[in-house]
Amino acid sequence: MIDGERDTLLRTRASRAHYRYFLAFTVPALVVYVVFAALPLVNSIYYSLFDTDSGVATFVGLENYVYLFTNPTTSERFWNALTNNVEFFAIHLLVEVPVGLLLAALLTSGRLRRSTGIYRTLLFIPTTLSVVIVGFVWRLIINPLWGLVDFPLLGDERTALPTISLMSVWQYVGIPMIFLYAALLAIPGDILEAARVEGAGSWSTFWRIKFPLIAPQFGLIAILTYIWTFNGFDLVFALNGSAPGPNYSTDILGTLFYRTFFGSSGQLADLDLGATVASVIFLIILVVTAAYFGLLHRRLKSYEL
Amino acid sequence: MQAIRASVALVAAAAAVLTSACAPSAHRAPAGEHASGAAGGSAEKVVLTLGSWRTEDLAMWEDEILPAFEKTHPAIDVKFSPINTNEYNAAIQSQVDGGTGPDLITCRPYDVNRAWIKKGYFEKLDGKPVLDSFDALALDPWSDDAGSRYCVPTAAVLAGFFYNKDIFAELNLQVPTTQAEFLAVLKAVKDNGKYAPLALGSSESWQLAYNGLYSIGPAYWKGEEGRQGLIKGTKKVTDPEFVAAFEAFEQWKPYLPKGFESLKYPDMTQLFSLGKAAILPDGSWDINQVAVGGLNVGVFGPPAITAGGERYLQEMPDMAIGVNAASKHKAEADTFLAWTASPEFQELYVNKLPGFFSMGKQPVTYTNTLAQDFANLKQGAKLTPRLGLDRLSAGTPPFDDEVWRVLQLMYNEDLSAQKATEELQKGLTSWYAPQQ
Repeated sequence: MIDGERDTLLRTRASRAHYRYFLAFTVPALVVYVVFAALPLVNSIYYSLFDTDSGVATFVGLENYVYLFTNPTTSERFWNALTNNVEFFAIHLLVEVPVGLLLAALLTSGRLRRSTGIYRTLLFIPTTLSVVIVGFVWRLIINPLWGLVDFPLLGDERTALPTISLMSVWQYVGIPMIFLYAALLAIPGDILEAARVEGAGSWSTFWRIKFPLIAPQFGLIAILTYIWTFNGFDLVFALNGSAPGPNYSTDILGTLFYRTFFGSSGQLADLDLGATVASVIFLIILVVTAAYFGLLHRRLKSYEL
Repeated sequence: MQAIRASVALVAAAAAVLTSACAPSAHRAPAGEHASGAAGGSAEKVVLTLGSWRTEDLAMWEDEILPAFEKTHPAIDVKFSPINTNEYNAAIQSQVDGGTGPDLITCRPYDVNRAWIKKGYFEKLDGKPVLDSFDALALDPWSDDAGSRYCVPTAAVLAGFFYNKDIFAELNLQVPTTQAEFLAVLKAVKDNGKYAPLALGSSESWQLAYNGLYSIGPAYWKGEEGRQGLIKGTKKVTDPEFVAAFEAFEQWKPYLPKGFESLKYPDMTQLFSLGKAAILPDGSWDINQVAVGGLNVGVFGPPAITAGGERYLQEMPDMAIGVNAASKHKAEADTFLAWTASPEFQELYVNKLPGFFSMGKQPVTYTNTLAQDFANLKQGAKLTPRLGLDRLSAGTPPFDDEVWRVLQLMYNEDLSAQKATEELQKGLTSWYAPQQ
């Protein structure tokens, strides 16, 4: 019995120590997260329910939201920004992921031999560059006065957004590439060897063995791309400022928020409406992300190896 | 990754603004309060903070301008505390609302300032002798609806046309004084084919308005007469004098460089300063950039409609300084304001910042020749600020933003002057009471 009591005592001590470690390891991250992510988020939702134009904050309920969606100008700008954002996301998904897959497949194919490391680094470098540099360099390359292209790609409403999206794809293609590259490397060699012994060529090995094994990665990449693009702001702002033209054709939710919240030299900063836009962006991201994890992610088949 | 980091930074910045905005207003004391006594060990000195959006001027204020003031006013120590231009409005609003605003606030012209006056940010200046140094046009941008004054004007910017004197000499061209002559010059340069007639791109739409339409337009809508007419509701944007101004702007289109749709403001300036374009429609703030590399540059004002017709010039009030109503040192702040109205300050300031012009009644000498040339354009011309920034942009859609947009459409998509003005009028009628 005494032994048993000592056991329990030890166990409680151990679990207390455990608990302490648990706290020590999580609290710092939690504090940073709460102060810099959760709190501002709650704060901005809180602010979106108030009107501070007169100098005193008065509770107005959902009036700011009603205004955002019913005023002809603000609602037009909002839907325009949302549509553009969807296009921005779609181009990323449709170009960045296949190109990333191709590059990852090439890197793991063994055809590059010893230069794999060099290529991997080169392809990942743009991701680490500042958007200001990326925007500046690309703007010079496609500048009709001193660049390589005669057509004003950024000055035409039809081509401006795809152009900016592709610049961004060029910059960030390293991210899906690295994800898929890591997944491809993780495939055990004996499976591939078995396939080879069975007489599978490299084409069918890739599509029938490797691809199904890395398939769950695509869901994750898609949802991360979604979050990145709907939080997107920097490249558009660096290239076209906070009222991105021509005729708002490159305006996305991030720039709409910035313009509303910070105002401009001739426009009053509208903190309440800015907070409202921020909350709507948050909801758009939250709903889709939650739906993805709730409905789709758990159904993705992953093979136990 | 970069995108995430940037958006985290943005959220953090927003958080900082939001949290400072919700600080309890019981601590309503200007920032200068906490800093007093910290300077140079002289505890009896009063410290004033001066809020500004011109971060680039920090060294100039701290090293040259403020020492000149402090030499004659040893009991006052002024601290220049600038905020990033893009965040200035939001930052000042949250600081003053939260009771941490600077003692001296740099005033944005017109609507932004009018809103700030309404919120009670400023001390009223009516009846103070400092106002006598300025005429009404200079003081109006910083007044409330009843005509009370709240800020002392610091500087204005002008808009005009830089031209390459060597190209003009080579092609034997004269400085144009009428719209017809202006177009003839453009045509002569185009026909010659060696240079671009007009260094102008439409990628940045603001400068189509500020350096284009708002510069040549006043000759058509008769400056203040047309501008006040729009504000009072006695004139419409679709009236013939406004449509004519938009048409004059449209007439430049054949002379734009290739690919103008995606040329940005720096591209235009570069095209001109490399000596590849004859004329650059620009603002005075660009004086230093255009003459870089020793280019032989001259400046002329917007042409009159016909020979001997009235000349107009865009003088845009850029900044003024007002006293924070919550400041603890209003007497000292007044002393500083009085000094900024003196010719001593005005001359010091505009010569440190070529391209900015004094708004005072007293004449000021400019050491920069191009600046002096620009200032000379004011003589004999009727002055008027940018058309769209006074009252007309205080609602949704803001008139000024809409002007930028339609001017860009006129160049990029061949929107007609008639259609452009109709669209503007529609936007204005939708919210601006005097136009309804």
